[in-house]
Amino acid sequence: MTEEALALFQSEGTDQLPDNPALIGGGCDDCGYVFFPMQRYGCEKCGSTALRVKKLTGRGTLIASAFVHMPVGTPHEGPFWVGSIQTDDGAILRSILQVSEGAVLKPGTPMITKLVPETRPNHGAQDLRFMPAAD
Amino acid sequence: MAKLISDLRPVYVVGIGFHPYQRSSETSYVQLGLTAVREALADAGVSWEDVESSYVAHALLGMAAGRPMLRHLGDSGRPIVHIENASASGSAAVRHACMEVASGISDVVLAVGVDKRERPEVYRASTGLPDLAEDSILPFTHFALLTDEYVHKYGVTPEDMALVAVKNHANGAKNINAQRQKVRTIEEVMSRPISGSITALQCTPIGEGGAAVILASEEGIKRLGLDMGRAVRIASSAAGSERAGNNLNPDTALTADIMRLAIAQAQIAATDLEILEVHDAFSVEELLYAEAIGICKPGHYVPMLKEGAWNIGGHCAVSPSGGLLAMGHPVGPTGIGQVGEITRQLRGEAGARQHKNAKTGLAHMVGVGAVCYAHVLMK
Repeated sequence: MTEEALALFQSEGTDQLPDNPALIGGGCDDCGYVFFPMQRYGCEKCGSTALRVKKLTGRGTLIASAFVHMPVGTPHEGPFWVGSIQTDDGAILRSILQVSEGAVLKPGTPMITKLVPETRPNHGAQDLRFMPAAD
Repeated sequence: MAKLISDLRPVYVVGIGFHPYQRSSETSYVQLGLTAVREALADAGVSWEDVESSYVAHALLGMAAGRPMLRHLGDSGRPIVHIENASASGSAAVRHACMEVASGISDVVLAVGVDKRERPEVYRASTGLPDLAEDSILPFTHFALLTDEYVHKYGVTPEDMALVAVKNHANGAKNINAQRQKVRTIEEVMSRPISGSITALQCTPIGEGGAAVILASEEGIKRLGLDMGRAVRIASSAAGSERAGNNLNPDTALTADIMRLAIAQAQIAATDLEILEVHDAFSVEELLYAEAIGICKPGHYVPMLKEGAWNIGGHCAVSPSGGLLAMGHPVGPTGIGQVGEITRQLRGEAGARQHKNAKTGLAHMVGVGAVCYAHVLMK
């Protein structure tokens, strides 16, 4: 697994959701801005470099989803799902989704994180997906 | 105190020119650009010697492509500035050319956009930051996600969204400079899904081409004896970049901010606009940006589209050139081509796609980053 992939998530969850992988985001000590992924270049909001790791809970709500019919230009060999998710911590991100065949995803669907065996080159032994909490 | 373009001396578009947008070909970028520049010079009635400065927009040609092209117009020794600002490169060139004329530094300035794609991938240096799905969410999927969000928010259907492409393909069919010049039915547009409900004909074709405008001051117009009756004023120019925030749709938020500036500078209301050329690289973009501009209330674009409000001859002609969906998006030329189209419309020279008695138009582009530009043109 590359250093970059390591920085995105961890298999352990947060105190609020211990059984689902946590996302490794960041927070600004000066203005409180929460972001994902963690970075140390400087706060996008106020420019401060007083940034610290903030683990984000692997739970959120689906904002939108799309089934990618043509994976041209991506590392995927076949069609796949992606989604926009707002985590319970307030971060908004996009992720590949793992959903059951024939699933109909609607905005507002509760989503959780899950680790899966690597399906993209150079992303380590495991990669992170969001999936419907009810699955 | 900082000045606006509208506080400085007036700037006019006096010449426009194109090399038709097209699929990749053997034509060199030099020929693409020179064709557009020569047409613009002829349209303005000025010679190359009269042009005091040039802004060259391109995003796909590598470093400093301007001089190897412009040298074939003759020996001038005048300044050349290259501008790369992603999809908004051409719009940025127009803005900086406009600033040079408005400030009084020059009386006659060229803005030319030229591009051709010689390799499939676009190089962007790594920021060193990882992302969960950066290699899986290409632009058409980004906009498929925004389409899904819009459809659920406003209770419209994917077929409703595709009507934007039907309209723009019909407009492009009347434009000899458009890459796509074929009328399409809703069934044709809905075929060939790419991502979500986005289909091939709801994605802009990235091709090649050239577009040029000559900008001039009143002093320049008088000194060179140009036809003031065909000159179109750039009434405002506004630009900005994305603000921090966990916003999934920064282009639309940014568009709303920049449009407020551009429209206020021009001292008009959004509903006064009669011509609108927006960054409709994907069908959902047209309605997101048009609503952000304020030509209708959020969620009202589709019902008004069905009533013909955004057709040529309707309340406001949106993307009369065919827009990025049909005219095409060769990148460097695109924003300059929008200004060319609006100039043609406000002159009353748009032929079969003329929107009658148009006096006010707005050109809008966003670029990856995100950056946003808007220019209001008035006759």
